[in-house]
Amino acid sequence: MTLVWCNRLWALAFALALVSSGMARAEEKIYVVTTLPDLADITARIGGELVTVESLAKGIEDPHGVPIKPSFLPKLNRAQVVVVMGLEYEHSWIPALLSEARNSKIMKGNIGYIDASLKVTPKEVPMDLSRAKGELHPAGNPHFNLDPEGGRLIAQTIAEGLTLNFPQHRATFEANLKAFLAQLDAKIREWKIMAKPLQGVRFVSYHQDFTYFADRFGMEYVGTIELKPGIEPTAAHLVELVQSMKTEGVKVVIREPHFSEKVPSQIAAQVGGQVVKLPIMVGGAPEVKTYFDLIEYNIRELLKAAQAAGVAGKV
Amino acid sequence: MHVGSRALALLVVFALGLGPLAPAVFAQEKASELENLKKQMLQMEEQFQQLQQQIEKLETKKIQEVEAKANAALESSKKTFASQFNPALSLGIDTIGSYKSHRQAFNPGDGTAGTRDAGQPINNTRPAGADFNLRSAELFISADVDPFTRAYATINASADAANNDEAILSVEEAAIVTTRLPYNLTVRGGRFFADFGVLPHRHDHDLPFVDRPPSLATFVGGEAQTNGVEVSWLAPTPFFLRASGTVGNKLGADFRDGVSDVNSRPIKGLTYMGRLQTYFDINDDNNVELGGSIAETPNAEDVTNSGRFERRLVGMDFKYRWYPLGYGVRQSLTVAGELLHDLGEADPVNGGPRRDIFGNAVRQGAWGGYVYAEYRLSKQWRPGVRFDYFQLQSEPLLVTNSFTLQPASTLNATGHRTDNRTWTAYLTWFPSEFQRLRLQYNRSDRGNAQDANEFFLQWTAFLGSHSHGFSERE
Repeated sequence: MTLVWCNRLWALAFALALVSSGMARAEEKIYVVTTLPDLADITARIGGELVTVESLAKGIEDPHGVPIKPSFLPKLNRAQVVVVMGLEYEHSWIPALLSEARNSKIMKGNIGYIDASLKVTPKEVPMDLSRAKGELHPAGNPHFNLDPEGGRLIAQTIAEGLTLNFPQHRATFEANLKAFLAQLDAKIREWKIMAKPLQGVRFVSYHQDFTYFADRFGMEYVGTIELKPGIEPTAAHLVELVQSMKTEGVKVVIREPHFSEKVPSQIAAQVGGQVVKLPIMVGGAPEVKTYFDLIEYNIRELLKAAQAAGVAGKV
Repeated sequence: MHVGSRALALLVVFALGLGPLAPAVFAQEKASELENLKKQMLQMEEQFQQLQQQIEKLETKKIQEVEAKANAALESSKKTFASQFNPALSLGIDTIGSYKSHRQAFNPGDGTAGTRDAGQPINNTRPAGADFNLRSAELFISADVDPFTRAYATINASADAANNDEAILSVEEAAIVTTRLPYNLTVRGGRFFADFGVLPHRHDHDLPFVDRPPSLATFVGGEAQTNGVEVSWLAPTPFFLRASGTVGNKLGADFRDGVSDVNSRPIKGLTYMGRLQTYFDINDDNNVELGGSIAETPNAEDVTNSGRFERRLVGMDFKYRWYPLGYGVRQSLTVAGELLHDLGEADPVNGGPRRDIFGNAVRQGAWGGYVYAEYRLSKQWRPGVRFDYFQLQSEPLLVTNSFTLQPASTLNATGHRTDNRTWTAYLTWFPSEFQRLRLQYNRSDRGNAQDANEFFLQWTAFLGSHSHGFSERE
């Protein structure tokens, strides 16, 4: 008799354990780790209530030089999905972390590894690869997130990636994507009108970050302060740059937050232009809290700079 | 549009000149005009159809052209070359110019200078004077083996003084690493730099200085090379905690064993290593890394193969980093160091047992370690200072504390100091991520040898896919 009761108790305990673990799992959110904050913002929009998202890098960092912190490992180890910008944007830090994270699900090539650049047509793909041309991105310029149309492609890729991993939530992801894209479309219409005076405005930046942005809003890239991608400028290069800026009437100098202020200011002073500090990721400026903020902030600040420098076009 | 404008022109002509003419003429004209218009319409329709056909033809032609091109490209990429699965390659070239003011032969007090040299670090056994030295041309090869493992090898060719300065090729590392074991485990096997301490498992060219800290060079003997198997585990904790255990045939250069066809090694003659490391973010900009390591060889053959003795090397390491997220790439600070304790029965330099001043065999310890601080002034410039200290394991000490077995004095039997200090200042310049120039000054105070000044100029370059793994991170 006691034995029977014992068995029943065990069965009850076992059933309770099963139910509680099942409940815990049902309530548990999908844990997504993204490399960069733009991806985290968009993933949170697509995943909605179903996901907890964390970005490894913060918006003020140099995205090419994020320090390999061991504290990233427990996060990657737990992650159900990892989202990267792709086009080797994070090549200096994410492969080393992934190979040590002991989570084969999120290794490159597996479905848990979502590459947000999959739908992007890359620009500035180098014709020949040589380190004489600096720290090239073999797959092309990876700063497509600064173009709002890039944001659309990122969102679509993330939605597809999440659906592939969690097909049971397809409807939610699709509905969230639709809502996001509707909002983005409306914003893009606004931004195109807002950015009209930027058409034809010539500019230089520290690093070649603004290609996609410039193409979208009709601005003209004249050069970079860096000698080559990732290579600090030489004195001769700066002299040449200032010369060509004077000839071409360039008055706008973009400085990304992780670069020093000194050289951009000197150059702007020499050509009688304006330096404008523009974030290249969400969180790169205190006001920039979402992806929409990022695009809007950059357009607004560029307009201010172009107007102050007297190169803004008339609408 | 055309029809519209023609009708307009007709109207204008009609209004100007033809208006006053008779309505009969107009009726006739109207009929023929309608006929004409009909004809024109038919002609236009025909033209339109022709144009449409032409467009379709052109389109198909264009598509065919593009398809032909794309197919050719696809076909060529479909071909399988034996070289398509070639591993990633990288070559590191590390060359050093040096000058040293004195040879530092340790004098044990019996008048025979140089017979008991203080270990074999590169900057100590070298005689005084100037030299240029290709320290290494190091080939690094790595690739995935299959879905379960990856492998890598480091083949080094370095000028060997004993070989008329001709390069001798050596396999520094050749190891297989698992990639998808469960329970957060990874197994590594082959020849590799054992997971002991921090700088012991860095390649020479990856050190923050020109030379290996003399304490590490003496206690570990260069890189922490071993042949064996390592199991490492990443704890499923919210903070970083990693543990590893290794069984190998040696650690670095100091552990030797005369195993051959005739001599076998007892299982206690292997080296058993363990390491535990952790890391904390104090906040976004400050972090601390801590680690502890042990390498125990219960019964190792000594350097002269004259007997078997126990040796235990214990290490503690720390690293503090201030790396402001917004501008750490061009301004940051690293302070790091390692403390080692070598406890053993063998004399690692001369072989045989360690002896006290009375000539009795003893189990005796020696301390050593280094600490350095490096400041990043800009993306390109990094100055740093280092202090290194170690005691000679081979010297009988005047007094040994019988409780701790630690030397209570650093004077030897004849009253000579047996500890070594090196003060270092260095400056590194990175023209790019793949090239580095470094200037270094060492002031070496070794035992009772004359103090020496050393200058180094190092030029290092990397070709190919030089990406740092997790354990080589800055």
